Amino acid sequence: MSRPEVPTVIFIGQPNSGKSTLFNSIAGPKAETSNFPGTSIKHTHSRVSIEGRLVDVVDLPGTYSLCTTDPAEQIVLTHLFSEKPDLVVNVVDASTLSRGLELTLELIELGYPMIIALNMIDVAERRGIELDPGKAERLLGVPVVPTIAAHGRGVRELLDRAFDVLDKGQSLKPVRFSDDVETEVVEVERLLPAGFPVVSNPRFTAVKLIETAGHACGDFLGDVEPRLKETVDRARRAIEEDRGAPAYEVISAERHHQAMKLSEESSRILHGKRMTWDKKVDAVLMHPVFGYVILAAVFLAFFVIIFKVGNPLESLLLGPFNKLRDALGTRLGDGLLFHLAEGLIQGVGGGVAIVLPYFLPLLFLMSALEDFGYLARAGFLLDAFMHRIGLHGKSVSPFILGFGCNVPAIVSTRILESRRDRILTSLLIPFIPCSARTTIVLALVAFYLGPLWAMGFYAANILIIAVIGWVLSRFIKEPSPGLILEIPSLKAPRLSSIVRKTWLQIYSFVKFAWPLLIGGSLVLSLLTYFRADGWINDLLAPLVVKGLGLPHELGVTLVFGFLRKELSLIMMLQALGVDYNSLMTVVSREQIVVFTVFISFFIPCLSTCAILWKEIGRKWAFVSVGLSIGVALVLSWAVRLIL
Amino acid sequence: MNLTNAPHGRPLRIVDLAGGESVRRRLMALGFHKGDIVELDGQAILRGPLLVRSCRSDTTVALGRGVAQKVRVEAVHEPS
Repeated sequence: MSRPEVPTVIFIGQPNSGKSTLFNSIAGPKAETSNFPGTSIKHTHSRVSIEGRLVDVVDLPGTYSLCTTDPAEQIVLTHLFSEKPDLVVNVVDASTLSRGLELTLELIELGYPMIIALNMIDVAERRGIELDPGKAERLLGVPVVPTIAAHGRGVRELLDRAFDVLDKGQSLKPVRFSDDVETEVVEVERLLPAGFPVVSNPRFTAVKLIETAGHACGDFLGDVEPRLKETVDRARRAIEEDRGAPAYEVISAERHHQAMKLSEESSRILHGKRMTWDKKVDAVLMHPVFGYVILAAVFLAFFVIIFKVGNPLESLLLGPFNKLRDALGTRLGDGLLFHLAEGLIQGVGGGVAIVLPYFLPLLFLMSALEDFGYLARAGFLLDAFMHRIGLHGKSVSPFILGFGCNVPAIVSTRILESRRDRILTSLLIPFIPCSARTTIVLALVAFYLGPLWAMGFYAANILIIAVIGWVLSRFIKEPSPGLILEIPSLKAPRLSSIVRKTWLQIYSFVKFAWPLLIGGSLVLSLLTYFRADGWINDLLAPLVVKGLGLPHELGVTLVFGFLRKELSLIMMLQALGVDYNSLMTVVSREQIVVFTVFISFFIPCLSTCAILWKEIGRKWAFVSVGLSIGVALVLSWAVRLIL
Repeated sequence: MNLTNAPHGRPLRIVDLAGGESVRRRLMALGFHKGDIVELDGQAILRGPLLVRSCRSDTTVALGRGVAQKVRVEAVHEPS
């Protein structure tokens, strides 16, 4: 049999099946990028050489089934169906075998050559399940290889079997449904018109037509193939009348029972319920009292670590950039060239100084918590609070990410199933004090007014987010479907996987935000060079002087606040012509608070606006900007009145 | 009864999944079907979500109250 030059191998499995770990141990450091389970819905091709053979490997995000309404999972399907892979590696969590097999059965129906990695057999054994991979292989008609991806066990055999299938080909036999359902499937299959865009094979297409009719596919089907739609509708009605349940439910239940039967026949329960370590830890982590104590401790530790690591690192990193700038200043004088160079240096320096010190530890800890399985548990614990602001537990992890940087936080809202939840979460994230804004709060409020003020500022900020969320959810009425969140079993996090995830997030952040940061810096340098700051100050004077009661010179810093929030402190000092220690001689405490409040809220930074535009659309990006300006004005006036 | 007023730590059989199609599909994809045996494993404070464990596959999901209300269950009498 002729085989393609470079075969495509797709990894697919349910979330938390250890798919990415397995993918890593095969594609390893050779692979450039991969998906971030739970936080992104990206997929990537990597061309790797495995045992001297070139293979295109694709790691798809986890999906529970091939028939889904979840937007993130639909991407998986589009990809799987269009790719026509030469081999599918189905990763199944052995400790939750019967559920994993439901996807396996669908994949067998899909009919691409496949093998099964029966992963995490150690976890299954710990839970008292003894597996018989040989039996499973005979029953399914698909090679089954037991693996422990985390330790690299079974990977070699998996590869051998994979190449075997690639070389020799494979014929799969889908499991038959019960007679009444089977008859309808065969009938729809038979009546598929010539030239109908069949996915993989006619039988799979027929099953999916019956399962999904009534959705997007069914809608256009009526226009394109009215006869076929009639056939499908008739088949669905026949099944529904027979079983008294919707056709999709009947077919799903068929697979469910087949999977249960298969898992019963290929595994043995050695002992009954036993308290394993993870169950004991879970009992504490999700305890109605201790759970929240631990959650609070985790958050506190989070911020302490980030700022303990971030602060010294930041000054360490900014030092050389400032020196370089000064050196250039003496060399180049005050010409256009110097200003351009200064903008460039400040742009790169700012990028390095935010990304590395604060963002890196945050992402690292987030990945560790995610791998351990804690983020899902935090979502569970905080769900009730999120309900007050019209959201649910799944929005917790984007929010936490927002404390580092709003940009990736908004990207990560993709894990939310409903668009309404995504929009609401994305509108709230810009109000979360990201590390750049936290720096300003620390530098201005904590330094001049004391740490208690800074903590109060933080607490007030979170309260404000809650109020805005509550108000917004009155406007975006559409009910949220509510929380359905799998709580994966706890796993000891592995450093390699955490490092890899952190790196991938940093990489995509740098790629997106740095050009904007550097561009913004250059624009600002040009503004100074052409002495546009005075003109901007005059333009903004009504707002700055009359509205906020701040010195006339601070107008230009607001522009900075849009382009580069973390620069607004330096700009403030520059604009007022004082150094850090003597700021209080020119402005009052009250003015510092007003300035900090306004600059924190008044507009999402350029990168955040851009990502909002890209992720949830222009309309909502403008809503977000308008909202921020409104909130900033109201809050600053309120602060002026109170103080 | 439904999951919000069912006893904790006892085996329960799912009698019916009510609610919209997308919620039902999601529940089924996560391995919760009519006839399955589940157990309530805990809950968060302030009427927070419930932890529901499927006895067959030993998977646990957190279900918000609104979703949990739509899962009708009956008690299973364990053979003593």
